[in-house]
Amino acid sequence: MMLKVLRHDGRPETAPHYDLFEIDAEPGMTVLGALFRAREVYDDSLAFRYSCRGAVCGSCAMLVNRYPALACRTQVAGLLAGEEREPLAPYPAIEGGEAWDARTTVLVEPLPHLPVLRDLVVDMAPFFAHYRAMRPTFAPADRAPERERLMAPETAGALEAYTACLLCGACYGACPVDGDDPAYAGPAALAKVYRFHLDSREAGDGRRLRTADTPHGWWRCEFHANCRRVCPRGIEPNVAIGRARAELTRRKKGGE
Amino acid sequence: MGARAEVHAHDLVIVGGGLTGLRAALQACRAGVATAVVSKVHPLRSHSVAAQGGINAALGNAPGYEEDTPEAHAFDTVKGSDYLADQDAVAVMCREAPAAVIELEHMGVVFSRTEEGTIAQRPFGGAGFPRTCYAADRTGHTILHTLYEQLMAADVAFYEEFFVTSLVTDGGRCTGCTALSVPPGEVHAFPAKAVLLATGGFGRLYSRSTNALINTGDGAALALRAGAMLKDMEFVQFHPTSLAGTNILITEGARGEGGILLNREGERFMARYAPHSLDLAPRDVVARAIETEVAEGRGFPGGYVHLDLTALGAGKIMARLPGIRQIALDFAGIDPVAEPLPVQPAQHYSMGGIAVDDGGRTGVPGLYAAGECACVSVHGANRLGGNSLLETVVFGRRAADGIIDAVNARARPDPGPAVEAAAADERRVAALLGREGEEKVPALLRDLKETMYRSFGIFREEQKMQDGLSTLTALRKHAAGASVGDRGRRFNQALVNLLELEDLLLVGETVARGALMRRESRGSHTRTDFPKRDDERYLRHTMAGLADGKVVISYAPVTIGTFEPQERVY
Repeated sequence: MMLKVLRHDGRPETAPHYDLFEIDAEPGMTVLGALFRAREVYDDSLAFRYSCRGAVCGSCAMLVNRYPALACRTQVAGLLAGEEREPLAPYPAIEGGEAWDARTTVLVEPLPHLPVLRDLVVDMAPFFAHYRAMRPTFAPADRAPERERLMAPETAGALEAYTACLLCGACYGACPVDGDDPAYAGPAALAKVYRFHLDSREAGDGRRLRTADTPHGWWRCEFHANCRRVCPRGIEPNVAIGRARAELTRRKKGGE
Repeated sequence: MGARAEVHAHDLVIVGGGLTGLRAALQACRAGVATAVVSKVHPLRSHSVAAQGGINAALGNAPGYEEDTPEAHAFDTVKGSDYLADQDAVAVMCREAPAAVIELEHMGVVFSRTEEGTIAQRPFGGAGFPRTCYAADRTGHTILHTLYEQLMAADVAFYEEFFVTSLVTDGGRCTGCTALSVPPGEVHAFPAKAVLLATGGFGRLYSRSTNALINTGDGAALALRAGAMLKDMEFVQFHPTSLAGTNILITEGARGEGGILLNREGERFMARYAPHSLDLAPRDVVARAIETEVAEGRGFPGGYVHLDLTALGAGKIMARLPGIRQIALDFAGIDPVAEPLPVQPAQHYSMGGIAVDDGGRTGVPGLYAAGECACVSVHGANRLGGNSLLETVVFGRRAADGIIDAVNARARPDPGPAVEAAAADERRVAALLGREGEEKVPALLRDLKETMYRSFGIFREEQKMQDGLSTLTALRKHAAGASVGDRGRRFNQALVNLLELEDLLLVGETVARGALMRRESRGSHTRTDFPKRDDERYLRHTMAGLADGKVVISYAPVTIGTFEPQERVY
């Protein structure tokens, strides 16, 4: 197989280019494995983030064949075989650009909507700034009891659908709105607010919903649903956003 | 490079952003200590996120098991440790466990719940009660994210993608550290009143490991070079069930929920090795059993056995083990609802580490350590599942409490030595980048890992270990001439890998020498040439220090408490 990788030294004055590496694709090889092989065999200056290699830490979100994904979780064989992925609503970062033959070549590029530091390494600071702006700290409604606060198993399950988020940024890189409007909080940050809103140990008074009740919060989403399609944890930020909007509208009508 | 190093002065520098580092940071910040977390990755990419199964505390929440106590927890831990744990430290950990878990819940951790709404508990290996609190099979992830969320409201400085290059000592006292900022590739100085090492384990010393790729023993190597001692390094835990091939962890919770191990003949072979505990015997026992089955030809070609979860049913797998199912689908193309998983043992945990007391103090004033990089010791020769997450929060907090008192009583140190050390490390980095040599880091790393697995793996024997040690010595010589292709500064990960290799080689030697000199079998340390435990000669801790650049081994007594050593039967 061929691995085609976008290279950039991170300086604004230099133009990016693509390098092509020929890799012996072993059974079970992941895109992350192929990147390590390229670095080991050809060029140890190839930069990319990694940590767990098991799809739990969120370090290696990048564009694989123009699709935001965790490199460690993506099998090379599946890509070459033309394995179907749910089509994304189009946006500039995945359209046009460098051509490649998907039957022989895997194309790897940095996650869109974030500045490139080097090669596949992007500056996650804008992403985490949105997260932090949502004040993601548990705020219980009452003083701490002696023992644990009680929670229904079903509520814990419902929360798990959001606490599983890796903050990998794949959804942020997949969101057409984030590409247009850097001020938009984006799917991950909004899903995080919704997680706290759902938490039965907080007041449930709508305070969490109001945190993102802004033109660049809940109301900026256009429901392309790319976030849901690319999430490695099956989280559905678009669903959270839709529910939050409906609930806010209901609360406002109710004269709150 | 004549430029003066950038200087970041803090009261406390915590190296590592996993559970231990973040729990300690939270404690120190809340006490008004100016705290920095220096981490080679973003804190949320720490290996703690991979902890699946849970955290132990004698809450007595499981129906029918209300009489569980910290004493029962302590007994299981000491027995599991093969009596090498210090019983005073174990007592502290088990006594503080319930409050530590309740505190996490109060911070917002979403634990899985019982029907009554209390924190649910599942059975784990070597435990007399279902004592392991969990958040599905993402317990480490959930706790780490919660601690990070707490820190969003605290005044802490994060230095992400900083690789710590050395500890600074001044008059025998640790007064800070230096670190390579990876994005620009420059060494910075961090003068501080105290440094806490919370860097995790050294799993990547082994070719088969469940650990993140970043677990390269940096903290242990830093401490050793700064004059601290390492303790019980030969005790390396092999988790019985990692996914064959990639060695991604399959939690012990899978057996806790009812999964069973089967050999190629379809036999539930654990009945022969641990007739009472079966698949829920402690990890050392199960790992040896699997390795024996494979060695005697009853494994599958490729060296694995089956972990069968199919009897659990789809509902229980989805609710209790959703992450396991996803891992199996992603990395093996197998759905555990319908098919058994191919599993094999892989390095999982470092019982040994930087020698500390139960307040995290090393032998070097001003230098502290906690979590997996440290050895208190609560795990002795074999750690029970669910005790590592517990150790991180209990001893992370305790270390911080001690540091808070110590730093409040001291003035900030002279930053001079830290600045000089940064300049020296800057020259060292320049020299490494300028090296011309045939030896390349990836090949050396591969040799090292395979040597460790072959010679210092599950079963050990004198001659194999002697050969392994000779290879390690040769590899250290080769590494001293290794060069990198990338001569640039920005995001030079090849340079980082070279620094990691140096750390792993040093740590590997402490494991090797400790293992060679311990002529008995205890917990995870199994010698085919000395198959019996020998309390008379080896009921003691192995201590490794550095003298003139050489690893020197000595011994220290084990603290025995109310539990007299006896033979382990499961």
